[in-house]
Amino acid sequence: MSVVSLNGIGRSVALPDGEVLRILTGVDLVVEAGEHVAVVGRSGSGKSTLLNLVGLLDRPTSGEYLLDGRPTTGMSARRTAKLRGATFGFVFQQFNLLPGRSATDNVASPLFYGSSREFLRRRSIARAMLTRVGLGGRLDTMPEKLSGGEQQRVALARSLVRRPRVLLADEPTGALDVDTGSAVMDVLEELVREDGTTLVTITHDLAVAARADRRFRLDHGVLTQLDDAALHGATADRSAP
Amino acid sequence: MGLLAAITEAWQEVRVHRVRVVLSLVGVFLAVFAMTTITAVGRMGAQMLQESSDRSQGRAATLQLDVYSSDGSSTVDAESMAQLRSVVARHGIPWSSLTGSLQFPARLPAGTKLVSGTIVEPRYGEMHRIQVLQGRWFTDADTDRFAPALVVDQQFADGLGGFDPAAPPTVVLGGDTPVRGTVIGVVDDRNTDGVSAWVLPGDVERWISADTTYGSAQLGMQVWVPDRDAEALQQVLQQELTASVPGGNAGVYRYDSGEELGVVNVVLAYGVRGIGIFALVLGGIGVLNVGLVTVRQRIREIGVRRSFGATSGRVFFAVLFESVCATAAAGALAVLLSVAIISNLPLSLILPQGISLTDVPPYPWEAALEGFLAATAIGALAGLVPAVMAVRAQVIDAIRY
Repeated sequence: MSVVSLNGIGRSVALPDGEVLRILTGVDLVVEAGEHVAVVGRSGSGKSTLLNLVGLLDRPTSGEYLLDGRPTTGMSARRTAKLRGATFGFVFQQFNLLPGRSATDNVASPLFYGSSREFLRRRSIARAMLTRVGLGGRLDTMPEKLSGGEQQRVALARSLVRRPRVLLADEPTGALDVDTGSAVMDVLEELVREDGTTLVTITHDLAVAARADRRFRLDHGVLTQLDDAALHGATADRSAP
Repeated sequence: MGLLAAITEAWQEVRVHRVRVVLSLVGVFLAVFAMTTITAVGRMGAQMLQESSDRSQGRAATLQLDVYSSDGSSTVDAESMAQLRSVVARHGIPWSSLTGSLQFPARLPAGTKLVSGTIVEPRYGEMHRIQVLQGRWFTDADTDRFAPALVVDQQFADGLGGFDPAAPPTVVLGGDTPVRGTVIGVVDDRNTDGVSAWVLPGDVERWISADTTYGSAQLGMQVWVPDRDAEALQQVLQQELTASVPGGNAGVYRYDSGEELGVVNVVLAYGVRGIGIFALVLGGIGVLNVGLVTVRQRIREIGVRRSFGATSGRVFFAVLFESVCATAAAGALAVLLSVAIISNLPLSLILPQGISLTDVPPYPWEAALEGFLAATAIGALAGLVPAVMAVRAQVIDAIRY
C-alpha cells in the first residue's frame, strides 16, 4: 500500500519582479510502506522543496498529494501540523539540534507534541532511543560536546523517537566525512528496517542513493526514475581518477 | 495534558536560557520588589503616624466634649462630670474617659518637681494606645483606692529611683495638704518634655484639686466612636450638652486627626502605586526587547519544533508563556525577598528616638499579589509581539535560516 502518492505536483513562487519561478513541475511519485526511496539532484534542483512538500512543511501550488490514500489538500494548518508530527520524522543536513539541551532533552523534545503517555515518559523513551543509536553513554552530553557523527545520530534518534511511519532525510550525510556518513547511514537503515519505517532520502551523494530500493533524479523541477545503469555510470564517473 | 506539556516546555526554555532570562528580568524584579517593599514601608510609616496621632489625640474617631461655665472656663465640678456622663451613657457609648490637665508638685528624692498631670479614666489607655513599659495601666478597681494611684513617665520613675512592680514606689504629692500616692505603672511617653503623670479624676477631686496650690484643673470628656457615626454624634451630643448646661456653654468637636491622615494615606498609596506601575512598564519594555531579539535568534529552533508537529497555537503559547513564566518567577522572587526583608526589619534599631510602633502592620499581601499579577501581565504583554513573530515565521525558511 502506498504511503505517499504525489500526482502531478507543482510548486512555484512569485518573484518580486512579477515572474513566476517554477521549482517543481508535474512530479509523480509513489512511495510504498517500508520502502527506501532516494532522490538525487544538483543543488537548486528542488530536492528540499520536494521533501518539504512530502513532509507537509509546505503546500503544492498544483497537483494532488495523497497521504495513506487521503488527500492532504484543504486540511487546516492545525490538522496538518498534528499529522506531520504523527507521521513524519525529519533528519536535517545540519542536524538542527536544540542548543543548550542535553542529548536526552533533544531526543525528548518531539515527545512534547505526542500523546500523554509519550509526554510523561519522554525521558525514558529518549534514553532508550539514544541507546539504540549507540549513544547510551552520552545521554547527558550537550550537542556541542559531540562529534559530527554523534550529533547526527542524536538527530536520528530524535527523528525516530515518535516512531514515525515515514522518515524524511535531507542530505543526512552532507555534513559528515565519507566513513562517518557511511556509519550513520548503516545505523539509519538498521533502525528503519527494524521499525518498518518508510525512508525517503534526498541526497547528491550517489553512494548514499545507491543504498535505496528505488532512486529518482530531480532535474530542474522534473522528477524521473534513475535506472541502475545510469546510477552505476554516474558512480563510476565520480570515482574515476 | 497539552497544557501541561506546553507549560513544561516553556519552563524548560526559561531554564535553558536562564542567563538571558535573568538579565531581561532585572527590571521587572526590581519594579515588583520596589512596589511591594515601598508599599509595606509606607504602611509602616502610615501606621507610625497613626499611632503617634492616636497617642496624642486619640484614635479615629475621638470626640472631645467640653462644658464651660458662664465665665468661659471649663469646669471640673461633680455636676459637670455628671452631665457629661449622662449624655454619653444615653447614647450607649462604651469608650469614654473624662480627661483634662493640671499641674501639681511631687516630692522626688532630688527635690520637688512640678508635674504635668493628665486626668484620665481607665479606658483612656486603650483609646490613646498607651504603651505601658512597667507595671500596669489603670483599672476600674483603682477608682476605689484609699490613696491616689499614679501612672508616670520614665523620667518620673527614674526620679524615684526606678520602678519595681513587686514593691510599687510611693511619692508625696506636695502642697499645703500633701498626700502620698502610689505609682502603679510606667508608660512610654518620650514625646513630652518634663515630668509627666496620669491620675484618675476621683483622686483629683478628692485630694489634688482641694489644694489650691495646684492650680485649677481643666476637664472635659473624650469618647471614641465609630468613624462613620462621628459627624452625626457630634451634632447630637452638641445639642444635648448645650441643653443640659443652663447658662453655660458646651462644645463638641473632633479631636483626632484621622481625616488628615486619611488624605496622607491615599496620597501615599497612589504615589507608590504610580511609581511601581511606571517601573513595571519600563521593566516590561526590557522584556519585550529581549524577547524580540531572542525570537529572531531562535527562528531555526522554532522551525525544528514545527517539524515535530508543533501547531501555530502551540508555538504562540510556548513563546508567550515563556515570557509569562519568567516574569511570574521574577515577581514571585521579588515578593519573597520583600517579605523576608520587611519581616526581619529591626524596627527598634532603625526607628528614630521618640517614634515607636505598637501594632506592626501585616505585610501587604494584596500589594504583593498585585505586584505578582502585574509582573505576570507584563510578561504576557511583552511576550505577545515575539509570539506573533514566531508564528508568522515561515517553517521552511526557519529551518534553513
